[in-house]
Amino acid sequence: MKVIVDNLAVNYELKGKGKVVLLLHGWADNHQTFSRLISYLSSKYAVVALDLPGFGESETPRQAWNLDNYADFIASFLTKLSIENIYAIIGHSNGGALAIRGLSRGVLKADKLVLLASAGVRNSQPLKRVITKSVAKAGKVTTFWLPKSTRQSLRSKLYGTVGSDMLVVPELSKTFKLTVAQDVQADAAKLKLPTLIINADNDPAIPAKDGERFHYLIKHSKLKMLNGNDHFIHHQYANTINQEISEFLSQ
Amino acid sequence: MSKTKVAVIFGSRSAEHDVSIVTAIASIIKPLELSAIYEPVPVYIDKQGRWFSHPRLKDIALYTTGQIDDFLSKQKPLLLQMGGGMKITWPGIKPKSVKLGAVFPATHGTHGEDGELAGTLEMANVPYVGCDMPSSVIAMDKALAKTIASYEGIPTPKYVWFYSRDFMGDNDSVLTKLSGLTYPLFVKPVHLGSSIAISKVNSAKELINAIEVAAHYDDKIIVEEAINNLIEVTVPIMGNASPKAALVEQPILNSDNVFDFESKYIRQGKKGGAKSSESAQGYSKLPADLPKELYAAAEELAIKTYKAIGCSGIARVDLLIDSKTKKVYFNEINPMPGSLYAHNWKKSGLSNLKLAENLIDLALERFKAKQKLTTTFKTTYLKQY
Ligand SMILES: Nc1ncnc2c1ncn2[C@@H]1O[C@H](COP(=O)(O)OP(=O)(O)OP(=O)(O)O)[C@@H](O)[C@H]1O
Ligand SMILES: [Mg+2]
Repeated sequence: MKVIVDNLAVNYELKGKGKVVLLLHGWADNHQTFSRLISYLSSKYAVVALDLPGFGESETPRQAWNLDNYADFIASFLTKLSIENIYAIIGHSNGGALAIRGLSRGVLKADKLVLLASAGVRNSQPLKRVITKSVAKAGKVTTFWLPKSTRQSLRSKLYGTVGSDMLVVPELSKTFKLTVAQDVQADAAKLKLPTLIINADNDPAIPAKDGERFHYLIKHSKLKMLNGNDHFIHHQYANTINQEISEFLSQ
Repeated sequence: MSKTKVAVIFGSRSAEHDVSIVTAIASIIKPLELSAIYEPVPVYIDKQGRWFSHPRLKDIALYTTGQIDDFLSKQKPLLLQMGGGMKITWPGIKPKSVKLGAVFPATHGTHGEDGELAGTLEMANVPYVGCDMPSSVIAMDKALAKTIASYEGIPTPKYVWFYSRDFMGDNDSVLTKLSGLTYPLFVKPVHLGSSIAISKVNSAKELINAIEVAAHYDDKIIVEEAINNLIEVTVPIMGNASPKAALVEQPILNSDNVFDFESKYIRQGKKGGAKSSESAQGYSKLPADLPKELYAAAEELAIKTYKAIGCSGIARVDLLIDSKTKKVYFNEINPMPGSLYAHNWKKSGLSNLKLAENLIDLALERFKAKQKLTTTFKTTYLKQY
């Protein structure tokens, strides 16, 4: 389904009935990354998952956006769908950083938060450096932090002659710099809502200590550290994650 | 005798640019290279609208590897000459020209299939394959096609159309116009293909959002009632005065019951049928699994529609069937079926080569017939000055 929000066509899925759960995907990903989570949760909740502007089947913002622009956009999107109350927000990777920032500014409101391998602790993170370095010498690229589908098309792009754009969507390179530069630790420290944090101890994109850091910063948080080495924890450990989230939401 | 040169024109400024590359190369150029009578000349229109011709443009790898941009940067665009036929010229110190015996348009969507190319070729007075300009224009406007089909007594889902600007200006009067329709409804931009911006809605609130989406992409919108117990079939048709159908084909729907861009193109469905007949069949039943009478009814309605719209050469008619009431409805007509629907024709007994050759034969036949029409008259009009 599509709607027009702030003159951008945005693609979304709304499944199930009940309290609203909002899903926010990470960089270069799209809402279908959550397909298993959506079918699991939609038996009890109204699950809303959108392709953030620039990704999936949604249009690309006309200017470069930072996390605040994205959060404002999500607020308008919810208004458009006449959704007034969100029960929970679940964010993966950059979607987690986006949720934290939106909640701390009060642009988004929710009763509960779930952070899956959340980005946003920007200083400890090798990601930014890795990226700027590999952009410089576009031959060797670390892509573990990208969804598999993107990784493949990216590789063929890099090794073909189309141009070596690390960022998948060329128009988004500025947006990428803006969002990835945004540290949300101060925002996390302001959050008061019950939060479930799930990380993988050997996640190559988001170090385990970022999860610990968020746990330390967010007062009412619970940390679940999985044994694993995939950044896409909601794929690799789908069952565990579905159950953990469902339990946390029903508390 | 030397072979007749046939320019195969593909690409162009369209969302379906890439689909067109596959149609042209796999279903037209490659088969025609084996022809004893016709010689294909690739004419590629790039995304900026520049025309190029070079033997290498027949190589699909040039596009799939992304080397095309680099390649084109070293090429000079073609010069076109119209009037008394069409001539293409490769510019340079020693320019080379070729007079075309016929043109085989293989573009999909805007700036081509929509009638623009047919109109251009009509101006040039060169024989060309497929629907002419007026029928293409009608076919590429869902509202216009339905209006003409209904006039001929062809059933279509109940519909209302309006201009986007009228909705933006006066939302209420448009909604009043729509109030005679029964939910669920389909909202579609009239010109766009590939299910982009199409929504199925169940309530007034959803309807408004869906119209906004359609208006974001097109200046004209159609809203129509949904057909229940849906069986969707598509019928490729070929011919001028006495058109014939290939097999009635039944695409397999995705779970939302809307045959979307992804299942159609990415997963090798309807239009992507190009790559191989197996993969196309993987997503369709060929022939459609219908009771005899219904199968015949579908075929008949498709041919009737083809004639009503004024098509010639080739087209593909999409039908919607209510499996309970056994009623068949016209949905839309595509003047240039992706990959010519070669997999379907093949199963009906026509090889890829024969298909392409027959279509060029039909183009020449139509051209000849048209030459016989009187288009100039002696007048004394200028004498009065
Ligand atoms: N009135 C209707 N009732 C039931 N289903 C419909 C109706 N109209 C459209 N659909 C469904 O939506 C799909 C897309 O509609 P339609 O063919 O009109 O759009 P399109 O964008 O021209 O698609 P394409 O050019 O790719 O065939 C149809 O294939 C059919 O599955
Ligand atoms: Mg269709």
